[in-house]
Amino acid sequence: MVRIRGALVALMLVAALPGCKIIKTPTPEEKAAEAAKTAFDPATKVDAIWQSQVLPDLEKRAGDFKVVKQAVASNPDEAGAKYGNPRKQNSSPWTYAVKLSGKIVAADTASRAGTLDVDVDGDGKADAKVQIGPAIRGTALRDALDFLDFNEFRNQIEWAQFGKAFNEKANTSFLAALPRDGLVGKTVTVTGAYPLPASGQLPLITPSALALGQ
Amino acid sequence: MKLTRKLTVAAFAGVLALGTAMPAFSADLIAIITPAHDNPFFKAEAVGAEAKAKELGYETLVMSHDDDANKQSEVIDTAIGRGAKAIILDNAGADATVAAIKKAKDAGIPSFLIDREINVTGIAVAQIVSNNYQGAQLGAQEFVKLMGEKGNYAELVGREADTNAGIRSQGYHDVIDDYPDLKLVAKQSANWSQTEAYAKMETILQANPDIKGVISGNDTMAMGAIAALQAAGRKDVIVVGFDGSNDVRDSIKAGGIKATVMQPAYAQAQIAVEQADAYIKNKTVPKDEKQLMDCVLINADNADKLETFALKK
Repeated sequence: MVRIRGALVALMLVAALPGCKIIKTPTPEEKAAEAAKTAFDPATKVDAIWQSQVLPDLEKRAGDFKVVKQAVASNPDEAGAKYGNPRKQNSSPWTYAVKLSGKIVAADTASRAGTLDVDVDGDGKADAKVQIGPAIRGTALRDALDFLDFNEFRNQIEWAQFGKAFNEKANTSFLAALPRDGLVGKTVTVTGAYPLPASGQLPLITPSALALGQ
Repeated sequence: MKLTRKLTVAAFAGVLALGTAMPAFSADLIAIITPAHDNPFFKAEAVGAEAKAKELGYETLVMSHDDDANKQSEVIDTAIGRGAKAIILDNAGADATVAAIKKAKDAGIPSFLIDREINVTGIAVAQIVSNNYQGAQLGAQEFVKLMGEKGNYAELVGREADTNAGIRSQGYHDVIDDYPDLKLVAKQSANWSQTEAYAKMETILQANPDIKGVISGNDTMAMGAIAALQAAGRKDVIVVGFDGSNDVRDSIKAGGIKATVMQPAYAQAQIAVEQADAYIKNKTVPKDEKQLMDCVLINADNADKLETFALKK
């Protein structure tokens, strides 16, 4: 009996062997190269689409600030479907793509999260805040683009890093060069996006393009 | 005395009769598995899921894995053995969980993950998680404001195997590191635990008496930190947490902890059960497997409205 069982085990072992294959252990260098190939690089990913997709998409879909503001006030969801990303997550607030021109009535350049208060309707009072960095809050640029979907990313961290990379791109491509003095009184033209503000708060716009006038 | 005994016996018999009669009408079973309920956050998840399951006519099997991957594997075996129709799971680790829910899937039981995501898609039917990064950014922005954009601070990090510990820490730093005058002088894990956070806070305070703020990966650790700070007479140190527990709400109202971020734990668990119900009844799968739910900043302005991980209207 024991012998039969032994033979059986031997037979099974022999049968199992062809399934085995000797695999070379990768060297640390090979491992690093492999990791680099698959590693997520948010800055490169944003660089690759910034000129070709991001700016054209926002320019095309951005509504006039006053029109968007009115549309949001009457129906945030309808406004979102038009000026936002309909593929957003259900519980996330809408983020709207907008264009505006106006006069800078105040500038906070003391905070690292610098902002411009812009009067759009000419009543001397601020209608929107525009982020000028270097610290930029939120992920409005990512969230307004209608060709992006969280489910195409590996996890929240990569999605988040991707969102932050848009802010860094705005910083390096035009905000870093913006003067910090004598801003009040100048006119400014902005394309960008803002998430649905809390009641009583001004829209906080993250710019994808910004030009100072006189 | 005699009467009571008689009544007790009668009641007992009644229960027995009910118990044996039950299988005839036995409803479908939903297993609800979370970390230990001593953290009110996980308790709210279990309570929320259970209430919704009962409302939809299911039996429930509520279990805890105590953040132990082996125990998680065991309780999932129990759920499989009991013939659960679905598993609602707040998992015990992004990597270790994959095999466990794969096992359930192979046994024909769908899993609906809440709170913590895994790095693999296609094994769970749904992963409904808080947008921890968005929440961490809210908390960090408030922290930066409270700190006046400068000063030394410490960070308490959660359990490292839990993806949320890393996501929140990263969300914090993606905001805070933009402010070069804010200096991180100590970063330690207190494993989500209040007692561990108390001890860690004591040693951090000894080494860094000039500390101005503490940002914590969750509320239980924030509670430990504020207790240690208050015991040392340091009421000036700013503490910010994450979760939105009633304990921290009360601390905010009493002027202790300054802010936290509420995760919609109760609603999240209920949505998971609704999706499980749709799957069980009609094989309907949610549009997206990974679903993010936004968090809400809680500070002295709205602490009054917070109750068991939900904001009153």
